[in-house]
Formats: sequence, structure tokens, C-alpha cells
Amino acid sequence: MRPSLRQSVLAVALSGAAALFGCDNSITSSEALPPLQAASLDSGAGSWGMIFLSGPTQFAVAAPAAETSAAYRAELASIKSTQANLTDAQRRSIEYWSGGGVLRWNQILRELVARFNLPPAPRRDGTYPVPDPENPFADPQFPFANPPYASRAYSYVTVAQYEALKTAWYWKYQYHRPSPARIDNGIAALMPVSDLPAYPSEDAVLSGVTVEMLKVLFPAAVALITQKAGEQRNAALWSGKASASDIAAGLALGKSVATVFVARAGADGMRNAVGTKTQWQALADTALARGEIPWISQESPPRPPMLPNFGLVQAWLMTPAEVATERPPAPPSTSSPEMQQEVAEVRQTVEGLTREQLAIAYKWNDGAGTYAPPGHWNDIAAEYIRDAQLSEVRAARTFALLNMAMHDAAVGCWGVKFLYFNPRPGQLDPSIRTVIGLPNFPAYPSGHSTFSASAAVVLSYLFPEAAPAFDAMKEEASISRIYGGIHYRSDIERGKEHGARIGGYAVRFAQQDGAN
Amino acid sequence: MLQTRTSTVLPFLLIALAAASLEAQTIDDGSLMPRRALGTGFLYAHESWSQYWEGSLKRDNGNIGTFTTQTVTWVAGYGVTDRLSVMAMLPYVWTHASQGPLHGMHGLQDLTLAAKYQLLSTPFTDRGTLRAMVVGAAGMPAGNYTPDFLPLAIGLASRRFSGRFTLNFQAHQGWFLNGSAAYTWRTKVKLDRPAYFTNGQIYLSDEVAMPAVFDYTVSAGYQYGRLSIPISLSQQRTLGGGDIRRQDMPFVSNRMNFVRADGLVMYTLPAPVELGIRVGMSRIVSGRNVGQATTLTGGLFHTFHF
Repeated sequence: MRPSLRQSVLAVALSGAAALFGCDNSITSSEALPPLQAASLDSGAGSWGMIFLSGPTQFAVAAPAAETSAAYRAELASIKSTQANLTDAQRRSIEYWSGGGVLRWNQILRELVARFNLPPAPRRDGTYPVPDPENPFADPQFPFANPPYASRAYSYVTVAQYEALKTAWYWKYQYHRPSPARIDNGIAALMPVSDLPAYPSEDAVLSGVTVEMLKVLFPAAVALITQKAGEQRNAALWSGKASASDIAAGLALGKSVATVFVARAGADGMRNAVGTKTQWQALADTALARGEIPWISQESPPRPPMLPNFGLVQAWLMTPAEVATERPPAPPSTSSPEMQQEVAEVRQTVEGLTREQLAIAYKWNDGAGTYAPPGHWNDIAAEYIRDAQLSEVRAARTFALLNMAMHDAAVGCWGVKFLYFNPRPGQLDPSIRTVIGLPNFPAYPSGHSTFSASAAVVLSYLFPEAAPAFDAMKEEASISRIYGGIHYRSDIERGKEHGARIGGYAVRFAQQDGAN
Repeated sequence: MLQTRTSTVLPFLLIALAAASLEAQTIDDGSLMPRRALGTGFLYAHESWSQYWEGSLKRDNGNIGTFTTQTVTWVAGYGVTDRLSVMAMLPYVWTHASQGPLHGMHGLQDLTLAAKYQLLSTPFTDRGTLRAMVVGAAGMPAGNYTPDFLPLAIGLASRRFSGRFTLNFQAHQGWFLNGSAAYTWRTKVKLDRPAYFTNGQIYLSDEVAMPAVFDYTVSAGYQYGRLSIPISLSQQRTLGGGDIRRQDMPFVSNRMNFVRADGLVMYTLPAPVELGIRVGMSRIVSGRNVGQATTLTGGLFHTFHF
């Protein structure tokens, strides 16, 4: 063979190989958020119904200096000189926050949950340490942002944001001070500036209330949290959207509103949710006394159950009596033929799993190291909020309603899980193994189904045109747990019904809050 | 929630091990198939580990116990000319954890195609022959398996393209020295989920960027007639990617590094049988985000002349 032919054979082989290789290896790490131009100012939001505050005047905002005052003129001059010398980093920061503060903080919150959603590693002696809020940087880090913890964290942040923004809207329309870019032609509007009054700044309110909530919920992330909050305020200032005094008033208001939610979080029952060894044993003993097989941790070494007293944590929209009333009936007895059939269905499903079913199991797995099931529904809601160009206050309402429902779903679901203490399929039939991961708490009812049904009910009310899509997602999320080999059919059916009832509380609140 | 967290060395072992088996020709050795000769056969590998490195922390995991990967790989090599060989391999993989709740997986993994070209073959001193080779190799998943369930996933599911340079000295008395190094580019992989967290940040995307990989192997051995006994030391370095977090699962783009020692015995039965037999053993000496695997291999190969 002639050398030229040899070389051409080689060239063909190499180029064929190269064709398999795509050149673009870049990943867009974040949802794209175009600059927020709100479809409505929602100027009446100051009168929308409050959830936990007594009203928008619970926290007063002092009147601003006049637009003609020397102090305010100096603030405007300062913005102009900053805008004349903006660095690329400052412009990127403006672009980032112009996507909307509520949506950006929701992304950051999901990141924090994913970062902290890891269980403690076992000690050498086979026991597990408990994450300590007084020592959050240690191993194990605090918190373990598991699904109940995450649902509560999403709800605290979004409810506090919503209440703070309603308060801000009230005071904005008391004082009617425009944005610097509207007052002074020499100041450019580097992010969309509307007729929304600028005092107090909604961006600063968000930064203040969010940073205070996150410092309590994710204390080890304080560096990231404070950096982001500072960036948000600077972006509002540099962009001509708010002046220094707009921002100072907003920051103070946001921090004030946070205090009442921090106080609530300290007394909502979360500190007792881990329980004690005596309580864990009592759960098993009670199930045995009823003639049932109690749940046993399938981990090695066995791990205490996840937050057995989370069912006693305070709900947002339900009284303890309502939490008890809405509970589903008992699951089939562990010794019943009905349960044997349910176990058989799980076994057959896992052994005959198709690639499509496996993909659904992974899509909705939302296990350790992820933003958890409530985060997945925040992810879904964020796209609808973005596409509907909701104002900051209406975006906050959407997330608050969604996350109150999912927190209450977690409270309701955990109460039932530890009332019945029902084993997972792999405990009743050790031949059943999982293709996702095995949650370390009782099976009945399915948390995914409860979360998803509550979320779908709320989102279907808020975005009625997409109700069929939310319903389909809820069904897929729920059935994914049978594909994963970790839930029975009755866990899923009763979980969906329970979640839908709990979601109804948020819908009924929303029907009467004056925002429609 | 799940505490079964480990790591796999499997996807890269396959290239080196499966390849290091073909009679007297592998991707990273210094020899070629004779012109118009086709060697083909199957290689079985049994890889197991009970300890792994979670980042740089070496640990065991009661939710894994002993992790076993079994592989049957079809391999083939053909001498296009005396200076150019082409190779192909396709493994079928089974994974299994001896303890814990995780379900094993199995399936066809990645098809690898390679072309090896001899740049140089020249007497060197009066003791032997020096050869230089370049190899281009490409790999792609043969099926639609998921890479998102490590260590039980059967592979990493990215397409790969690697360029390799090999220098070989074969002494007249039979001993040889071989050095080989490769750089592997990997395409991003697609997951079945809309977000993931790795290397300190969340990615709200189903696509994962895969860092490139550099590896090198130094081997020495003795070849006399139909017998060849190489031993080698290899290192793989992944040029990016995050560590497995404390008590987390491994992730497809983790920085998987290791140093591995290999020993092989290859023998070819005389004509008319011309059956190549090979047995080997390897052990991970040190690593990061991989299991400390011990691998036993056995293979049978036949050469056809056209």
C-alpha cells in the first residue's frame, strides 16, 4: 500500500472519530431570566391580606426627604458619577439582578438546599452525629436540608419576602417617590424602571429580609448570602432604579420584618423534630402493639428516622386540629393480602423497568444532594412566574402560596408517616432493591405525592391555563416512586388525596386575599 | 436520604484493560497487528472494591459492602498495513453491591474504535528496536444507559476522543520498555433530571460538562517467542471536576484520579490453534473519587490471516 493511502485511511479514521466529539462543552448553569418588566405594577398590593403580620403598618417607614432637598440631590449626583465609571463586573451584577430579585433569591435558595441536603456520615461506633446549629461549619454541617427541613426553609423565606414586599408596596404608595432615573434625565435606567415608587426600594427590602432569614436557616452559608444581598442593593443603586435613601429605608424594613419570622421559626417546634431515642423506640413499639410490622432503617449502620416529630411543627394555614382532620385513613395492614399484592406490584415494576420509567424515576428523584421535591416545584413555578412577567410582589405571593402549601404538606405527611410507621417495600421483600435511593423514614404516605399534589393544586389555581400540565407533572412525580421501588400504590394514592386537600387551604387563602 | 455513596473506576479501566489484551497488540502498547491479520476474542474482567475515596478521604460504606463489576468485552484488531492497525471493542457490564438497597445495573457500555499508526521503527543502539506510535481512539455509548446512578451506573455515557503517543523499545534479548500517554476529550452528557449540584454550585440544567482526562502508562516486560509478561504502572488524572461531597453519591463529572499497577501473562498456542490466552491482575494503588479496585482478567483470542 502506498504511504498516501495509509495516511488517508488514518485521516478518515481520525476524522470519523472527531465527528463523534461535539465542540461545545459549555453549560448554562442557571435559568435564563430576561430583564423583568412587570406586566402590572400591582399598585394595590399594600392592602393584600397578610399571613402572619398584623398589617402593612406593623412596621412603619418614615417619610423620605423631599426630591428637592440637598441630601437627595447629592444622592442623585452620586449615582451619576458611579454610572460614568461602571466596571464590567458592576454591569454583570446589574444584568443578573434585573432578572428579578424574587426569582434570583429563589434560585439561590434552591442552591443552598442542594448544598446542605446531605445526611451526616456515621461515626466509627455506628452512631450518627446530629447537625448542630451552634456549630454549623463542623462535620456534619448544619443543616441537613432534607425534604421537611427544605419545605420549611422555602416557606419561611418566601412568606417573609411576601409580607415584607406587601408592606413595602403600602409605603411606596404613601410616599410616591419616583426612581432616580425618572426624576433626573442624567441618570440612565440600566435595568427596567417603571412607575413603581422607589421608596422604600423593593430590592433592598428583599435583600434585608432574605439575608436575615437565610442566616438562620443556612448559617454556614453566611458569606455567600451577605455577598449576594450586597450585590442586589448595589445593582439597584447603580442601575438608577433606587437612591441611597430608598435603599436604606428598604433594607431597614426588610430586616425588621424578618425579626418576627425569625422569632416564629425559633418557636415552631422544629427544634424538637429530631426526637429522642425513647421516642424512636416508642414508634416501633406502638406499631407492634397494633399487630403491624414496624419500619426499620435499611441503612448500615441503622440510622434514626428522619425528623419523626416534624408532624408537630406549626403549619402556616392549618390549625393542629385541621392537620389531624385532613389525615388519610390507615394503610393496609402489613399482614394483609392487599399489602402482599402491593408489594408484588413494586417488585414486578422494578424488575421489568423500562428505560422511560427509569428516566421518570431519575427526573423526580430529588434525593440527597439535590434541591429536594419542594425545590423541584419551585423550579417549575419559577418558569411560569418568569414567563408571566409577574411583579416582584406577585411573584413573591406565588412562591409564598406554593411553599406554605408544601410546608403544610410536609407537616401533614410526616405526621401520618410516624403515626403508622409503615415499612418500605424492600423491608417486607428484601429482593426489592431501588434504582434511586432509599429514604430513611416510613413509607405511608408518599412524600413526593403529597408535596406534588399540594403544589399542583396551588399552581393550577394561580396559572389555570397550565392546570393540565401541573396535573400531569404531579402524576409523574407520584408514580416515579413505584418505579424507584420505594413506595406502594396506596402510599401514592392516599398521598395525592392528602396533598390536594392541604393545597386547598392555600387556594382558599388566595381566593380571599384581595390580590385577584 | 440515601447513604450509599461510592465511586467507580470502571469506565476508564475498560479502555486500558480491554485493550491491553489483544494478543500482542493493545491501544497503548508498542506493537501492531501483522498486515491482513485479524485478531478477535473476548475478555472477562472481575473488578471489586470495598473501600473508596470520597474526595481524598478513604472510607468504606455499609450501604455498598463490596462492590463488584463484571465485564465481558469483545475486542478485535486488524492489520490494515504493516504500519497501520485498527481496533474495536465493546463491553457488556454488570454491577452489583453486596449490601444495601441499591439495585445493580447491566447493559452494553461504550463502543471504542481506534487506529494505531507506526511513525517510526528503527534499530536503536545494537540492542534492539525503537518504535513510535500514534493512536486516535473514539468512544461512544452503544446504548441509552444512564450515567446518573454511580457507582452502579455501567458507564459515564459521554463520547470521547483521545490522542495517544507511545514509545517502545524492544530488545533483541526479549525484554521491552513501553511508555504511553494520552489526552482524552469528553463531550457533555445529558441527565434525566433538570438540575444537579456539583463542584460547589447548582446547575439548573440537564447537561453536564465533562472535564478532559490525561493518562499515562509505563510498562516493562519480557517477550520471548509466544510468551509475553508485561507489568505496568498507570496514572489517570481528570483535569477538572468536583470531589464527592461528604456522604454524597459520586457524580458523573467527578475528578476521578488513580494510580494503578498491572501484571499480565499472555501466551499464544502454536499453529494451527493460534489461540491467545491471557490472564492478568491489577490493583489501584491510590486514588481520588474512585474505588480501590482489584481486577482479575482472563481472555481468549484468535488470529486469522487473510
